[in-house]
Amino acid sequence: MKYFRFIWKNVFRKKSRAFLTMASIVLVLVLIVVLSSLLEALDYDTGRTKGAANVVVQHATGLGNFMPLAYRQKIEQVPGVVAVAPQIWFGGIYVDERPQNFFGQLSTDPQVWAIVHDDYSIPDDQLIDRFHWTIGQRIQVRGTYIPGTIDLVLRGVYTGPDESNIFFHNKYLENSFLGRLERTGIFYLRTEAPEKVPGVCDAINKMFENSDAPVKAMPEKQFMLQFTEMMGDVKLLFRSIALTVLFTVVLIVANTMAMSARERVTQIAVIRALGFRRSQVLMLVLSEAIVLALLGGVAGALGSFPFMWGLIGIIKHTPVAMFAYNLKISLATLLTAFTAAVGIGVLAGFVPAIRSSRISIVDGLRRVA
Amino acid sequence: MADSLICIEHVSKAYRRDSLQIPVLADIDLTIDTGEFIALMGPSGSGKTTLLNLLAGIDTPTKGRITIDRRVISSMRETELARWRADHIGFIFQLYNLIPVLTAFENVELPLLLTRLSRQERQAHVRTALAIVGLSDRADHYPRQLSGGQEQRVAIARAIVADPVILVADEPTGDLDARSAGEILDLLNRLNTEHHKTIVMVTHDPRAAARAHRMLHLDKGVLSVEEPAAALDRSRDGR
Ligand SMILES: Nc1ncnc2c1ncn2[C@@H]1O[C@H](COP(=O)(O)OP(=O)(O)OP(=O)(O)O)[C@@H](O)[C@H]1O
Ligand SMILES: [Mg+2]
Repeated sequence: MKYFRFIWKNVFRKKSRAFLTMASIVLVLVLIVVLSSLLEALDYDTGRTKGAANVVVQHATGLGNFMPLAYRQKIEQVPGVVAVAPQIWFGGIYVDERPQNFFGQLSTDPQVWAIVHDDYSIPDDQLIDRFHWTIGQRIQVRGTYIPGTIDLVLRGVYTGPDESNIFFHNKYLENSFLGRLERTGIFYLRTEAPEKVPGVCDAINKMFENSDAPVKAMPEKQFMLQFTEMMGDVKLLFRSIALTVLFTVVLIVANTMAMSARERVTQIAVIRALGFRRSQVLMLVLSEAIVLALLGGVAGALGSFPFMWGLIGIIKHTPVAMFAYNLKISLATLLTAFTAAVGIGVLAGFVPAIRSSRISIVDGLRRVA
Repeated sequence: MADSLICIEHVSKAYRRDSLQIPVLADIDLTIDTGEFIALMGPSGSGKTTLLNLLAGIDTPTKGRITIDRRVISSMRETELARWRADHIGFIFQLYNLIPVLTAFENVELPLLLTRLSRQERQAHVRTALAIVGLSDRADHYPRQLSGGQEQRVAIARAIVADPVILVADEPTGDLDARSAGEILDLLNRLNTEHHKTIVMVTHDPRAAARAHRMLHLDKGVLSVEEPAAALDRSRDGR
């Protein structure tokens, strides 16, 4: 690429302007990398195949209502069902009500819990990490809507897609009103295979159709989506922010390129006189914009790593700590960033490049003289 | 006439400003032979630069025909003309017009980027051109680190590096002191005699014009041949 030197030197013709423009690209790219990584972390579904054989049963009217615990035996009879674990969201307070101390507490049946969750296998111990717990740790949670304080001892650590919960034995709730009423929040169950899921859901839904407490059985994925659906708006917001800043930086770079091209009308007339063709001038100016954008892009992509590490550290102490553990800069995100950088260069360089290629040699030469 | 290097026949040039036609050159006829050194003189606004631009192939005539080296350049298309310029014409400007971000070496190398020459061949050509203008030791200097006379010599090296047949120079000494101007004129003379370049030079300076074989005078778009002595007289009158 014999023209590279010429292009490179022209990029840094006005050093401070080049660096300021690059700085704006860097900032935008950091923002884009962080936003796309957040979007990826929010996408519960991304690349996930685990739990495909799981079904969650809740009260037909919603999670606020509880179902008779006796349903468990009936559900266990449904063909295709392997194990059924009743779970209750305890919603207790740990230490105090500050958001960084929030985590999910679910009571369950330890006998079958392991069967239902056997394929949870992402190694990360979020809560251990957050609270510096150790095995044998005493954990006291104070009930809110379920009265009573329960004392727990940490016996083991599970790994899974959502590690921001603790699970404890149903027996701790036996003395609460729920225990006396023999009710539960949800049933978490495992079927023999993912293909069985639709049939099992239908069978369960039918089974309790005409009872006092009709239920809604659904695949685990659909159940999880209920909680992330509200994230839809957040995603839209992130996407619009990303697009807006992208558009802004295109204008900034375009402005730089236009200024730089305007100052060089004579220079361009000179190289055209020397024999450079219009198409060559177009490519040279366009390449300058792309080189500028790519330099900013590489610096931005590299700069987003320390930024992301800092962000993860902060998120770990918030109620949405679980996202911190899904948050990482993926190869796809980096590729998106580079594509964005090249896109910025092409979009911003196009008009100045066309303009430069169209100048008249004679007028350009006359300009200084 | 057909054997001449440059053959300008019935060439007119008019600029259009809105609906107004501004005639600059009217029915010019001129032939220049290989190896000639021509000085083109005339008052400001008489059309000297315009004529030079036409025969250098960076502007096209409104009427008439320009044939150079047996090729009709007045009817060539943009891209063809660009390639032709790279092969046939070396440009020397009043304000040197070097690219400020490039070193002397890189400036001289610029026209060679358009050729198929290898890196080594390009380097050899650039070194030769810089040696001819006597600036081998300034190859790595940037234009701002050179004097006006040196800048013009680098520009001349750039003009000759691709070995064109014709050099066009628009007031090459117009921005220089007498000594530097003298050096530049010596250099042009040498390029003409030793390297057989055909040179067409626009100048206001009668002493510069006196170096030429032939002096042409342009006034209000009309061309006439002029005796060197007459030019000197006129310059004494203050034009
Ligand atoms: N692009 C253009 N549009 C309109 N008029 C033009 C244009 N270019 C040149 N002219 C006019 O053509 C005439 C001749 O200009 P030219 O530059 O050839 O003169 P010149 O003899 O080189 O003058 P000088 O000695 O001042 O350089 C001038 O009147 C100028 O105003
Ligand atoms: Mg002129």
